[in-house]
Amino acid sequence: MIVELLAQYVMNGLMLGMMYALVAVGFTLFFGVLDVIQFSHGDVLTVGAFTALAAFVGLHTLGLGSRWLDLVVIVLAATLAMALLGMVIARYFIMPLRAAPALNTLLITLMLGTVLREAVRLFYPEGANPKPFPALLPRDAVALGAFNLRLDNVLMLAAGAGVIVGLQFVLSRTRLGLAIRAVAQDEETARTMGINFTAIVLITFAIGSAMAAFAGVMNGLYYNEINFGIGLYLGVVGFSAAIIGGLGSVYGAILGGFLFAGLQTVGAVLLPFASAYKDVFAFAVVIAIMAWRPTGLIREKISERV
Amino acid sequence: MAALLEIDGIYTTYDKADVLHGISLAVEAGTITCLLGSNGAGKTTLVRSILGLTPARAGRIIFNGIDITRLATHKIIAAGIACIPEGRKVFPKFTAEENLRVGAYQDASETIIRGRIAEIFRIFPRLAERRGQLAGTMSGGEQAMVSIGRGLMCAPKLLLIDEPSLGLSPRLVQENFNIIRQINDRGISILLVEQNVRQTLAISTRGYVLAKGRVVAAGTAAELRGQQQVREAYFG
Repeated sequence: MIVELLAQYVMNGLMLGMMYALVAVGFTLFFGVLDVIQFSHGDVLTVGAFTALAAFVGLHTLGLGSRWLDLVVIVLAATLAMALLGMVIARYFIMPLRAAPALNTLLITLMLGTVLREAVRLFYPEGANPKPFPALLPRDAVALGAFNLRLDNVLMLAAGAGVIVGLQFVLSRTRLGLAIRAVAQDEETARTMGINFTAIVLITFAIGSAMAAFAGVMNGLYYNEINFGIGLYLGVVGFSAAIIGGLGSVYGAILGGFLFAGLQTVGAVLLPFASAYKDVFAFAVVIAIMAWRPTGLIREKISERV
Repeated sequence: MAALLEIDGIYTTYDKADVLHGISLAVEAGTITCLLGSNGAGKTTLVRSILGLTPARAGRIIFNGIDITRLATHKIIAAGIACIPEGRKVFPKFTAEENLRVGAYQDASETIIRGRIAEIFRIFPRLAERRGQLAGTMSGGEQAMVSIGRGLMCAPKLLLIDEPSLGLSPRLVQENFNIIRQINDRGISILLVEQNVRQTLAISTRGYVLAKGRVVAAGTAAELRGQQQVREAYFG
């Protein structure tokens, strides 16, 4: 009984951690190339989840659709549309403000987030209410003793891990990754090497925003419900995860995401009143970590020399 | 014969004030041309204008027959210019080898890149030993090698070298000048920006002296060695 419950908590923690990590990686990538915090990142996730839902509804209105076709279409629709939205945000809202104080970028991305969120609430049919999200993954379960390992959870975890491994591969092994990392270290020298700075920034925003959309679809498939506020919450958590991991570090963001989910799980298991205070607990620990290590858990190993 | 790089009366602005006031100069193919002048004379701004990092507001820069005055930096690099920037500017979180690779960013062929890396390692055997070391943890001299090697990786027609001796020991400075001469012997034209007058003129074909954003003296290295303006540009 205890083991079964514990396994359940761990599985839930892993699912949440994966979503948080996917969001946190975006924050850290954007900060890397442009030194900005994209505060509408969470709301891009919301728009991504609703794009997926709209694609699903669209398919079924047309009378098309089977489980796997649905899945492929909604994931593609959400990630491609959010990649585009991310590029538009970078190109028309963030890059023009590069010469302005950082506070202006903070403000404009915050306001843009509100606009995206309210647009979903007002313009998506009955967007103010929670919307049911289709359960497209097989719900078969494998009984491991008293614990039921659900296939849909395993598939989602595997897909999320695949996305993160894929990103790591791109960053560490490809020419595009070399350019992204060069821009993150020193924009001007990167340009002097012949790197098209604007193109690299836009591609980075496309990648990060597509990952947020992926997390949004995961969120829908996991809870079978989405609402216009999911991105606000996941955005705050993802941002915190990126900060505790050490902003700018991809490993740090992933670590931060799973750490935050771990804290919530521990909070839910150990604290009285079960889960009511799990967020209070997790954020309190985040504050403590920030006081202990202001630059995040993954420290910069190199101080730049002049 | 037209020069490889021809700068024709450029004005460049920083914070709404002109820093360069109608500078004209030429780098003939195959030569080392030097640009002398004290701090604040506008040397680095001129380099930045050539690279398109701070584009000139007036005048023209012609490279290899192409007007590059308003091109984006990556297109200027594609035209065949590379730079060894002031302060070396190695990527600290890249290994020595990754730094070299990023220097050849616009050459997609792995075979070509490997060939060039092997060539750089022949010039700087020390980099071969340290290919996997993060550049940020290297000594100043080693970073200079990385920076020079990186500048050669795209096989440029013209190499801009900005204050290579800055912050190096006298022995390394001498080594650096020898290497610059070797690079030139491979047929790469060089625009060398320096404050170190004697050693610079010793390896240059022609030179220009900048003061307060204007060319105050120009000529062959031999002519400049004797000239009063050269001294005045520094001490006047």
